[in-house]
Amino acid sequence: MKNMNDILLVVILLSVLLSLASNSLGTLVKIMAVQGVMVSLLPLLLEHHSSMGSGGLIFFQVMILIKGVLIPGLLYIALKRISIRREIEPIVGYHASLFAGLIIILLSVFITDKLHLSMPSGHELLLMTAITTISAGFFLMMSRRKAITQVIGYLMLENGIYLIGTALTKHSHTVYVVEFGVLLDLLVGVMVMGIILHNINHAFDDIDTDLLNRLKD
Amino acid sequence: MLELIFLLPMLTGLVTLVIPAYLGRGVLIVAAILHLQLTVMAWLGKLPVYAERFFAQTPEGMLVLLVTSFIFFCISIYAISYMQETEVSNEQVFPGCMLLFLGTMSMVTLADHPIVLWIAIEATTLVSAPLIFMHRSKEALEATWKYVLVCSVGIALALLGCFFITLSIDIAEVDISLSFTSLNQVAMQLDPMWLKVGFIFVVIGFGTKMGLAPMHTWLPDAHSQAPSPASALLSGALLNCAFLGVYKVHTLMYLAGLGEFSGNILIGFGLLSMFVAGIFILKQPDYKRMLAYSSIENMGVIAFGVGIGGFALYGAILHMIHHSLIKSSLFLSAGNILLGFNTKLVDRIGGLIKYFPKTFLSFFAGFVGISGLPPFGIFLSELFILIGAFQTGHWFGAVLFMFSLLLVLAGAAQIVTDMSFSTEEQPTFGREKLLRVVPPYILLSASVVLCVWMPGAMFNTIINTIKIVGGVIHG
Repeated sequence: MKNMNDILLVVILLSVLLSLASNSLGTLVKIMAVQGVMVSLLPLLLEHHSSMGSGGLIFFQVMILIKGVLIPGLLYIALKRISIRREIEPIVGYHASLFAGLIIILLSVFITDKLHLSMPSGHELLLMTAITTISAGFFLMMSRRKAITQVIGYLMLENGIYLIGTALTKHSHTVYVVEFGVLLDLLVGVMVMGIILHNINHAFDDIDTDLLNRLKD
Repeated sequence: MLELIFLLPMLTGLVTLVIPAYLGRGVLIVAAILHLQLTVMAWLGKLPVYAERFFAQTPEGMLVLLVTSFIFFCISIYAISYMQETEVSNEQVFPGCMLLFLGTMSMVTLADHPIVLWIAIEATTLVSAPLIFMHRSKEALEATWKYVLVCSVGIALALLGCFFITLSIDIAEVDISLSFTSLNQVAMQLDPMWLKVGFIFVVIGFGTKMGLAPMHTWLPDAHSQAPSPASALLSGALLNCAFLGVYKVHTLMYLAGLGEFSGNILIGFGLLSMFVAGIFILKQPDYKRMLAYSSIENMGVIAFGVGIGGFALYGAILHMIHHSLIKSSLFLSAGNILLGFNTKLVDRIGGLIKYFPKTFLSFFAGFVGISGLPPFGIFLSELFILIGAFQTGHWFGAVLFMFSLLLVLAGAAQIVTDMSFSTEEQPTFGREKLLRVVPPYILLSASVVLCVWMPGAMFNTIINTIKIVGGVIHG
C-alpha cells in the first residue's frame, strides 16, 4: 500500500507541473479532474484510515463525484459558454511557470526537511506535495490573466489544503457531516464563481481580469 | 432547540428565493422579528443545544448574535422601503439572500467546532455575493468578483489554520473531541509550535474577511457597490462574525500561554489597518467608500484592543457593539442620500441640511458617533482602549492609535461637512419616507442608551467573555 500512496502523490505532483505548463484551458480543466480524483483517493489508502465504516466509504464516493466530476463539469460548462480557449499572454510565460513550479517543489522539500517539523512520521512526501500544491495554486492565480484560471488556481489551493487536512490529522477527528459541509461550500463556491464568470463574459466580451479595473482609489 | 436560530432564516430564505418579491418582503420582516425573539429566548437560556458536538452557547457568540439580530431587524424595516424605490431585476433574490445571510451569520455565532465555524464563515461569503451584485453594473460585477475570490482564498487559508490546530492535538497526543470548549480545557497540553502556525493562518484567513489591512482590498469595493441595506449588514454584522473567528482562536492561544504572541500579531494588524484606512480616507471622492474605510479603521481598533488585553479588551468588545450600531445607521443614512441624489460622489452632493433635514440629522449624528465623540458609545470604548494601552506601556501603539483616529476624523469631517452645508447641488428625488428615516435613528439611540444604561445580563455576558482572556474592567 505504501507504494500506491507514493504513486498517487507523484501523479498529483505531475498534475501540478502540467497545469503550470498548459496553455489550453480545456486541458487545464481535465488536469483538475484527475487531480481531484487523486486527492480524494489518497485518504482511502493511508494506513490509519484502513478501518473505515460504510459511512466513510459513501463519503469518499461522494467526494470523488464532486471533486472529479461535478466541479470539473461546472468549469467545463463555464468554458463552453465563453469563447476563449487559450490563455494568451500570461503574466508569467509557460516555460518560466514550469521552472517556477520546479523551484516551488525544491522549496517545499527544503521546508519539509530543514524545519524538522514535529509531525507524524512517514508523511514527508505528503507534506511536500501538499505545500507544492498550495503554492502552485497561488502562483497560478497570480500569474494568469483569465478569470477562469484563477478559479482553477483556487481549486488547486483547496486540494492542497485538503491533503494536509485528511492525511495529517487523525482519523478520529473526521466527522463526515463536517467534511461534507466543507465540500458543499467548495461546490457552491465554484458555482457562484461560474455565474460571475458568465456575467463578466457577458458584460466585457472577455474574462480578462485586466478589464476589471474600474474600482480604484 | 438552539439550532432554530440559524435554521429558521435559512429555510425561510430558501423559500423566499422562489416566491414573488412582494411576498418575500413580508417574509423578510416576519423572519427578522422571529429571529430577534429566538435570540432573546436563547439569552434567557430557554433554548437547549441539540447537536452539542458542533454548537454551543458561548458568551462572545451570544453578544455577536444579539447585535446581528437587532441590526438585521432595523435593516429589514428599511430594506422594504428601499427596495421598492430602487429598480433591480430578480427582486426576490434580495430578501432571500438577506435571510440566508442572516442564517449563516447566526450559525457562525453558535459554532463551537472549528471546521463548522469555517463552513459557516465561507457560506456567508457565498450567500452575500448576490447581494453585492444586485445592481448588475460593471462596477458591481468587479466588486463581486473581487469579494468572492479574495475572501474565498483568504478563508481557505483559515481552513489550513484550523487543520494545523487539529494537528497540535494529535502531536501532543491528547484525546479529545474537536471543539473550542474542549480545546480550551486542555490548551496547556497542546503543541505550541503548530498552535502558533495555526493562529497565523487563521488571522490571515479570517482577517481577510474582517477587513484587516493589508488583506482589506475587497472591502471598500464591496461596501460601496452593494445596495445600502446590504452594505449596512456587511459592515455591521459580517465583520463581527469574522472577528469572532479570530477571537475564539486568540482565546485558545491565551489559555495555552501564547497570549503575548497572538496579542502582538493582533496589535500589528490593528495598527496597520487603522493607519491605512486613515491614509485612504483623506480626499476620498465617494462617501460610501469613506464609510467602508472607516469600517477598516474600526476593525483595526478592535484588533488593537483585543491584542492589548486587560482593560482595553473591555473597550474592544464595547467598540464592536457600538461600531455595529453606528456604522449600520450611517450606511442606511447613506442609502437615503444615494436615493435622493442618485450619486455616490461627494462633489455632486450638497445642502443635505436644506433638502433632507431628517437624513442630515441621522447622518451627522452618526458621523459624530463614529468619530468617537460623546454622547455615543465609541467615545467610551476608544477611551478605554487608550487607557488600557497606556497601562500596559504600549506607548508607541497608543500614539499611532491617536494619530490614525485624527486622520480618519479629518478625512471624514471634510466629506461630511461638504455634503451637508455646500449649497451648489440639487437633489433629483425629493421625499424622505418614514420607513427609511426611522431605522437609522433607532440604531443611533440604541448606542446612546447602551452608553448610559446597560442591561445587567448584557454586562455580565461581556464580563464572562473577557474574563477568560484576562480582561478586567477595573483599570
